[in-house]
Amino acid sequence: MNGKTLSRRDFLRMSALTAAGTALTACARPTPEATEAPAVEEPATEAPAAEAPAPAEAANVVMMHQRNELSEDEEAQFEADYPGVTIELIEGDDNAFLARIAAGSPVDLRRTQAPAVPQFLNRELTYDLTPYFETSDVLKIDDLAPANAYYMANSPTAIGEGNIYGMCKDWSPDFTLWAFTDAFEEAGVDLPDDTTVLTYAEVADLAEKLTVFEGERIARWGYAYADGWIDRIWMSLLDEVGQSLYAEDYSSIKLTSNDDLKAMAQYFFDLASNNFVANPLNPSTSWIGDDFARGLVGVIQYGYWFGGMAESDVTAGKVVMLPAPTWSGKRLDRTITATGMFMVSKTEVPDAAWQVFEWYNGKEPAEARAASGWGVPALKSMYDLMPNETEFEQQKRRVLQDEIDLETPPMQFNPYIGAEVVAQTWNLYLEQALSGDMTLDELLATVEEEVNVAIQEGLERTE
Amino acid sequence: MANNQQAEGQRGARWRKSARGRKSARARRRTISFYLFIAPWLLGFVLLSVVPLCIGFFTSLTNYDGFDPADSKFVGLDNYTRAFSDDRMFLSLSRTLLWAAINTPLWLVVTFCMALVLNQKGIKGRGFLRTLYYVPSIVPIVGVVWIWKIILDNNFGLLNAIISIFRPGTAIPFMSQYALQSLSVIALWTGLGSGMVIFLAGLQDIPEELIEAAQIDGANALQLFRHVTLPIMTPIIFFQLVLGLISAFQQLVLPMLLAPGQEAGGWNPPRGSYLYMIHAYRQLFIYQRYGYSTALLWLLFIVIMALTLMVFRTARYWVFYEVEIEGGGQP
Repeated sequence: MNGKTLSRRDFLRMSALTAAGTALTACARPTPEATEAPAVEEPATEAPAAEAPAPAEAANVVMMHQRNELSEDEEAQFEADYPGVTIELIEGDDNAFLARIAAGSPVDLRRTQAPAVPQFLNRELTYDLTPYFETSDVLKIDDLAPANAYYMANSPTAIGEGNIYGMCKDWSPDFTLWAFTDAFEEAGVDLPDDTTVLTYAEVADLAEKLTVFEGERIARWGYAYADGWIDRIWMSLLDEVGQSLYAEDYSSIKLTSNDDLKAMAQYFFDLASNNFVANPLNPSTSWIGDDFARGLVGVIQYGYWFGGMAESDVTAGKVVMLPAPTWSGKRLDRTITATGMFMVSKTEVPDAAWQVFEWYNGKEPAEARAASGWGVPALKSMYDLMPNETEFEQQKRRVLQDEIDLETPPMQFNPYIGAEVVAQTWNLYLEQALSGDMTLDELLATVEEEVNVAIQEGLERTE
Repeated sequence: MANNQQAEGQRGARWRKSARGRKSARARRRTISFYLFIAPWLLGFVLLSVVPLCIGFFTSLTNYDGFDPADSKFVGLDNYTRAFSDDRMFLSLSRTLLWAAINTPLWLVVTFCMALVLNQKGIKGRGFLRTLYYVPSIVPIVGVVWIWKIILDNNFGLLNAIISIFRPGTAIPFMSQYALQSLSVIALWTGLGSGMVIFLAGLQDIPEELIEAAQIDGANALQLFRHVTLPIMTPIIFFQLVLGLISAFQQLVLPMLLAPGQEAGGWNPPRGSYLYMIHAYRQLFIYQRYGYSTALLWLLFIVIMALTLMVFRTARYWVFYEVEIEGGGQP
């Protein structure tokens, strides 16, 4: 020690440097073990031996899920029914999920949605559950609702049939409409019959008539759709006309070379520029479901699940479910979320994890979900559990059944990019286009270029 | 006599040597104690800051995407050069510079003025007011944002509703076109308490005798402020300036939570509040570019470091220290 004391200036300098340095630590890659992840014991494309799974031994199953979808009481009930197997529920998003894998402490079960499945398959993060399904008395393959096809695949680019890597907890045909009858009455517009299939052009017409302007202020938006899923909507509409959003091998997105897609983009752009929907220049501070429940939206496009929350103090008794509209006349209505669960390929307790998986998707929690009316059950045998008592419930069921009968096959999402890349890029630049700083063609070209870069990066990592 | 002197000299030398030895042992013990005391912090700093920083830097040299690290490749400085052809990076950097230029001085001036007012002895309920102004700083940030969304909403907000009393149908786009200005107001509101408390502490540390001496010399309130309060407070202002600047560049949560369109995971801050950290966050969590995102953060670190050093360079011209400091500074 040289006896020199730390001056105030030195202290300030050190404090500033420390504070600046700490800013970077938050986004550092997780732990040194990140580069030493254990080898994949069960690659996704290699199924475990096709024989009856042995009863699970004592194990702790780590489940990355949402607490509001598995109560502590249900968890306790499971542990009482399955002695020796415990559930450790962790809440977290895909980044937390990947961080745990990189750190060498993967979870055993993970909540996900259909658009993420191809990428997880591509990166060999999913465990082949086919042998378990083949021998299960609870989750029978014949009983699986069609939306579960999102979790079946022969390869990451061949979703729909093949090995089973997971299943949805519930699902909905997601393109149905919900009308707020007061909005129709106030606008002097006839409410469509719930057996009439509207075209998207008619929906735009309704959107215009139902939108209420008061000076510069928008008192009610005529229409609302999930703009965070715009690519999924385009994919479904393109499917109607036999087109695809991506090249055949999923190595690029096609936005500028596809006239059908351009027409669809123009449609949604016009809705936004006319303020018939919430948009970046005239945003909603909440989310569209809440706006509808507050009576601020005339027609909203959401699946059957939305029926569980469509009625509020404002909208109770004033909501009607309508069939999915059509772009070209060909009727389709598919789920674009199929929220569910898969087993992680690196799990060390697959048998115990399967017990949790089977129980969650086929026993009491699944029955409770089915009876709640917040989605169509993932098992056809549970369809009858959906609520069907009140007039509103019966009306929903009638419309829903027609949509289920369409038997719309699943869509193939791109396995080389994250589920939000396309929609996030579109929405990022939409503000500039709406402000007149770029044309729609330039917007599409920019999104195409950025998404294609992301796809190429994904391809390079898996080559 | 000479022998006695020689013997005394030898005794003195032994004593001095022994004293030096005792001093040296005491110094060693003090050194050991010092390091033992700071060891917990030092360990935490190394393990939780230095190591992650190093890993973060290494990540910035790869194309890691959050999946299997074995799939990632070393790409050298590609991620850094990529940033210079990224238009959105430049947009976000320019917005951040503007944000820092607006927000930091505004916060400094307002919190300093509030501290000056609340430091006056004649104010009734001074303690209550100090607590009241500190409340926004302890409200959870999500709650803060929701309060302000209710106030600032373009179509259904309280502020537009009040303006509509005088000009019906007003819908000033606070949440979109004026997003950065709105953000500044919210940040100022949430930062009032923390800034004010630091300044108050500094004001209360001003020696009474200096003020009394100035008053005896006939200084009025303005002169007292100009020649006593302000110079003594400059180290505090300097400290607040540096921290305010750094936190302005690190701003992420406020614009993120204030962004509209949060359904379906689709939050999108308007261009006005598209700050640098938002861009880095999106690159990491939307596009899965862990390597590029960490490179962006290192570049931000360099920018912050450069600005901080610039501020330090100016300090000698305006920061008043009460004592002479080795190597510069005013007396």
